Amino acid sequence: MNKKTFSLNMFILTLVFLYLPLIVLIVQSFNSGMGGDWDGFSLKWYDELFNHSARLWTSFKYSIIIALTSAGISTAIGTLGAISLKWYTFKHKKYLQIISYLPLVLPDIIMGVSLLILFTSIKFKLGLITIFLAHTTFNIPFVLFIVLSRLHDFDYSIVEAAYDLGATEKQALTKVVLPNLMPGIISGLLMSITLSLDDFVITFFVAGPGSSTLPLHIYSMIKFGVSPIINALSVILIAGTIALAMSTKKIQKYMV
Amino acid sequence: MKNQRSGLVYSAPITLWLTLLFVVPTLIVIVYSFLKKGTYGGVEWIFSANGYNFFSSSYFLKVVWNTVEISVAATVITVLIAIPVALYIATSKYKNFLLFLIIVPFWTNFLIRIYSWIALLGNNGLLNKLFIKLGLEPHQFLYNKSAVILVSVYAYLPYAILPLYSAIEKFDFAMIDAARDLGASKMTAYSKTFLPNIKPGIITATLFTFIPALGSYAIPKLVGGNNSQMLGNIIARELTITRNWPKAAAISTILTIVTVAFIFTLSKYDKDHKGGDV
Amino acid sequence: MKKSIIFILILLTLVGCGKEDQKNELYLFNWSDYIPDEVITDFENETGIKVITDYYSSNEEMYAKIKAGGDGYDITVPSTDYAEIMMKQGMLEKIDKSKISNLKELDESIAQKISFDINHDYIIPYSVGATGIAVNAKYVKNFERSFDIYNREDLKGKMTLLDDMREVMSSALIIAGHSPESSNPQDLEDAQEIILGWKKNILKFDSESFGKGFTNGEYLVVHGYYENIVAHMTYEQAENMVFFIPKKGAQMYIDSMVILKGAKNIENAHKFIDYIYRPEVYVKIIDYLETPSINIGASKLRKTVPVYEIEDLKGAYLMKDLGEALTPQSEVWNEILTQ
Repeated sequence: MNKKTFSLNMFILTLVFLYLPLIVLIVQSFNSGMGGDWDGFSLKWYDELFNHSARLWTSFKYSIIIALTSAGISTAIGTLGAISLKWYTFKHKKYLQIISYLPLVLPDIIMGVSLLILFTSIKFKLGLITIFLAHTTFNIPFVLFIVLSRLHDFDYSIVEAAYDLGATEKQALTKVVLPNLMPGIISGLLMSITLSLDDFVITFFVAGPGSSTLPLHIYSMIKFGVSPIINALSVILIAGTIALAMSTKKIQKYMV
Repeated sequence: MKNQRSGLVYSAPITLWLTLLFVVPTLIVIVYSFLKKGTYGGVEWIFSANGYNFFSSSYFLKVVWNTVEISVAATVITVLIAIPVALYIATSKYKNFLLFLIIVPFWTNFLIRIYSWIALLGNNGLLNKLFIKLGLEPHQFLYNKSAVILVSVYAYLPYAILPLYSAIEKFDFAMIDAARDLGASKMTAYSKTFLPNIKPGIITATLFTFIPALGSYAIPKLVGGNNSQMLGNIIARELTITRNWPKAAAISTILTIVTVAFIFTLSKYDKDHKGGDV
Repeated sequence: MKKSIIFILILLTLVGCGKEDQKNELYLFNWSDYIPDEVITDFENETGIKVITDYYSSNEEMYAKIKAGGDGYDITVPSTDYAEIMMKQGMLEKIDKSKISNLKELDESIAQKISFDINHDYIIPYSVGATGIAVNAKYVKNFERSFDIYNREDLKGKMTLLDDMREVMSSALIIAGHSPESSNPQDLEDAQEIILGWKKNILKFDSESFGKGFTNGEYLVVHGYYENIVAHMTYEQAENMVFFIPKKGAQMYIDSMVILKGAKNIENAHKFIDYIYRPEVYVKIIDYLETPSINIGASKLRKTVPVYEIEDLKGAYLMKDLGEALTPQSEVWNEILTQ
């Protein structure tokens, strides 16, 4: 099919485009020198990563925890919100429709400072929790929009059929609606994790003392040249995530 | 719907959360934009509309134009690429794996990826070194508007691919076959059945790319040159260097209003995007 | 499900507003790579105080965060202009000098430049240095050690200036024969003309990647700080580099330790500052940073030779608070950037 080849070609080109800098990144992690030139193969950055970088690992750990929790909560809240907007009427619907656009729109730095002002004025202690709250907040509209567009042509008759067959509200939700929304929910989840892992500006302002995330840690190195230790960490992260994905597939195979 | 009261339950978490953690900060920003500038940052609780004076600065319109130009270019390119890519993933047997493959590069740190682009396309980067080896003149690929657009496309691709994937995945491709059976060409079949049906996905992808691009700050700073200042840079400078919080708040407020108007028009164009009652 | 959401929200609120245990800690908000790890670890071992550090890479972001309410830090290290601003705003605790006996080691000749706190009631100098220009001498020959290098068209597209209004504007104003704190439109116009002349020849304004760019060969001439430029240089590259402080228009900085108002660990903060001022401790810092020493005892012990001495800084301008002149200068800077 002609269209199929076109989209396949685009996909492959895009993959190359996306992975090109990644290849540079991976190669540099094995470069014994720090400049652009190849100075010889070396594992020293990996050595430093595993043996001398306690602070980096702590930031990394915090980043992962915050990414997973904020993505989870925002996906749950956003999905429910999308369902409410599509199929229900309630008093504050108009209000919700308006405010759900907004977090997309405000520039990072403004959101960061205004959240900081909010937290300090209610004397809420800055720390990992404030980072979690901020990340969940900016993730929600992304999930909302993705799930909404998925709901756009959702064939409601299958839900009605479920009710006719005696399903409760909860059963209709968990057994009919959510499974059909899954690709949207997963897209939302992936998007949220991505946004959270990489956020710097908002996190800088709402982080508490000692609660550094990976982007904060990396950015603080910027003037001195970010060490290839970060490249090594990125390689480990990519390898780890791919391994995880492969293993879940295997598990899925056994479950089916 | 079975139970209308469930609407309250479903919508309560999101409404509460966004109200507390988003509407309130936005109100703070709007209020601050109408206050007097503190001498050393912060605000004094005296009314002043001076924050909105930025319109009169000659450089302001130039930066707005730059920002719009770069954002539109980046968005158009990104969405055009994202559609076939999302199409391929959604119709593939290995959709979850492919989706994953697309996302994984974005879990490496943003800064590192930008530096990798600089290592590739910089004045002393790999590509130029290759040029020199081949006897060609080195070319300055970076530190200009095109570089900002290129790196923006790179950065926003997943934001466009994900929503498009979600929208395309539920498209019933039998419609294409039906159209073909009725005598339509491939082109017509796709443009008249496929594209209109994934319109919400296209709109979402456009919003997810265009709006963050408007507020872009790090990309122009790192790979932009002398003529690629964007609004995000101005806002950051006003906030941190000039310490004019009301001005930074005012520019952000106007940016917010303009973008909301844009979204509003876009969703009016797709009337049932926000969903009515069933 | 409603119940569990409420439960989680209550839990979060409790944790968020929780009381802090009385631990023996010290919270630093500092520039990256400014204190060698060894110094911190030795302090921790000696006193049993746990030191937790967060980092920033510009005065502006540090100040914006603290001004907007980011508390929890005990000590931060602003440059002189921001130290002045923070002092004027009442953001600093008064220092109990009786607890910092080692302050006597401070080289007053340089400390006197902090004219607004001569008695060191709020501001204790940490390190001193200057902004300079680095040239890749392998490719650039016959250059004058001044800002004039930025007028050279043969180096077009291979140079950078700091993306820092204070630095560039101050230097241009001084070169134009005016005060760096001027808000006079004519003075600013003169400076603008000079900077636009430089801008024609630079690749971009860069405050983050000038060090890396110089080492990678992206830039042949950079304006910036020594420690960032040499951070990851090979020996060979260092041999080929010429770093100078320009004859006219040079800027110097004194970064100082201050205790923030409302700090919870004031005792520990004093102990830390006193510890830093021990000659045998401070010498580790200057050997690490390779900057001139402000500590008399440490000067005698040092093993490295700084790339420039306090003497070289005599003609340099120490950035102070611009006050009302900040806005007109910023407007001109914005014009320059967008032209």
